Amino acid sequence: MADGALPGGPASEPPGERCPSGIEALDNILGGGFPRGHLVLVAGSVGTGKTTLTLEFLVRGAERGERSLFLSVTEASSKLRQNLSTFEFFRPELVSSGRLVFVDIPVVYEKLGLDHEELTLEEIDLLIRAIQGLVTELKISRLVIDSLTSVCYRIRREERIRDFMLKLSQVLADLNCTTLLVSEIGQASGRFSLHGVEEAIVDGVILLGNTRRQGDIIRVLQIIKMRGTSHSRAQYVVELTPIGLLMAPHLKGGRQEGM
Amino acid sequence: MAPDGDIGERLRALSGGSAVALRLDPHEYADHYFAALAATLRDLGPDSSSMTIYVSVTNPASLVWSLAQALDVTADRLWFVDAISHIMMNYRDPLPNATYIESPRMLEDMMLRVEYLLRKYPSPHPTVVIDSVNSLAIHNPPDLLSEFFHILLNNLKSRQVLTALLVVSDDTTSALDQMLALVVDETIDLGRRG
Ligand SMILES: Nc1ncnc2c1ncn2[C@@H]1O[C@H](COP(=O)(O)OP(=O)(O)OP(=O)(O)O)[C@@H](O)[C@H]1O
Ligand SMILES: [Mg+2]
Repeated sequence: MADGALPGGPASEPPGERCPSGIEALDNILGGGFPRGHLVLVAGSVGTGKTTLTLEFLVRGAERGERSLFLSVTEASSKLRQNLSTFEFFRPELVSSGRLVFVDIPVVYEKLGLDHEELTLEEIDLLIRAIQGLVTELKISRLVIDSLTSVCYRIRREERIRDFMLKLSQVLADLNCTTLLVSEIGQASGRFSLHGVEEAIVDGVILLGNTRRQGDIIRVLQIIKMRGTSHSRAQYVVELTPIGLLMAPHLKGGRQEGM
Repeated sequence: MAPDGDIGERLRALSGGSAVALRLDPHEYADHYFAALAATLRDLGPDSSSMTIYVSVTNPASLVWSLAQALDVTADRLWFVDAISHIMMNYRDPLPNATYIESPRMLEDMMLRVEYLLRKYPSPHPTVVIDSVNSLAIHNPPDLLSEFFHILLNNLKSRQVLTALLVVSDDTTSALDQMLALVVDETIDLGRRG
């Protein structure tokens, strides 16, 4: 599919304000960063660097003075904060000053009294309003939900997920809050989200993966779509380092893909 | 002036962002190799207060480092990216100022480590030495290698890095020389000094 043909994202659209990820190579490819207020899926199988990439996005943002919120579903945020210390550029003041905030979604569920295994329509609305409330009150301009998959797992039904995604996207766009949603996928699932509807609604999809070459496993990153952005769809090799995520073009030469 | 000094001087005269091939004659390999080390590590390094990243594919970094010490090079602004020790199973005493790559085929890793070091230790006029084009060619097909050099050298040029590529050849019509001619700004022939 051509990027320009994606619904809601004509390539001719003038580039709006950008929200730099702070990851230099990524911002270069994206023409300065994510379009501000957009919803971007960060999809990948286990251990591909989803949490690390999204954390860096928040830390870099907080460093620029943007209030950043990490909504954690899968890992306790106390553990995540320990992960932060692997970043040399992280300063604890970012957290103590309230510029970088961690909230555990299970705590939100509990506060809202969402105790059904499968969330009802009303509960889904409550959840969206809770997220809206947090973003508004804390004046958040960068949000990460890690992971969307776990949230959708409790919504279950495809049409409700669609509804949830549409409302979430609307609410966050209105607040001009740039959001990365972590999506956990299988190694070769052929799609980028649990049900496939999520990836159709979001404005962008970044795919993280592992590829094997001559016995070595290398991490790769690819931008699948990014509305309002003309971008390369090439694959990049990624390294997670203490100074942040680094990228290099995945060399092709005469080599076969996926080797 | 000693001939070795001439090369260092010629390198210093190049503008930042230049890529230069240092041609070593196979018949005088040991002499030329030592001269190339002296020029890049000793004559280029110290007064520029800049760091040098030495990408070691021919010899383990530990060997290059012992040669460099014989030239009175100090470790403070020298980093090795060693892409050969792992496959030579010569990895017992890793150098503190070296980072190790699994194999000389991991060309992207080589780019990423160089980038990492350039960012981690910013300096005004950094130098990257690649030892050598021949060794890389043993482990990588030609089309991949030209792609690698094309991307790497463009990237280094944009960062104002001086890049020196060691190549062993006594014949300018060789395939390697022809590939290099496309990516370097200048060739310094160690066999025809002065
Ligand atoms: N700053 C860093 N430097 C080096 N390695 C790192 C760094 N941060 C993370 N890693 C490594 O990267 C691996 C994957 O990281 P991460 O947790 O971000 O992946 P993930 O896609 O979120 O995984 P999961 O699906 O399990 O949630 C970790 O095992 C960790 O060892
Ligand atoms: Mg994770």
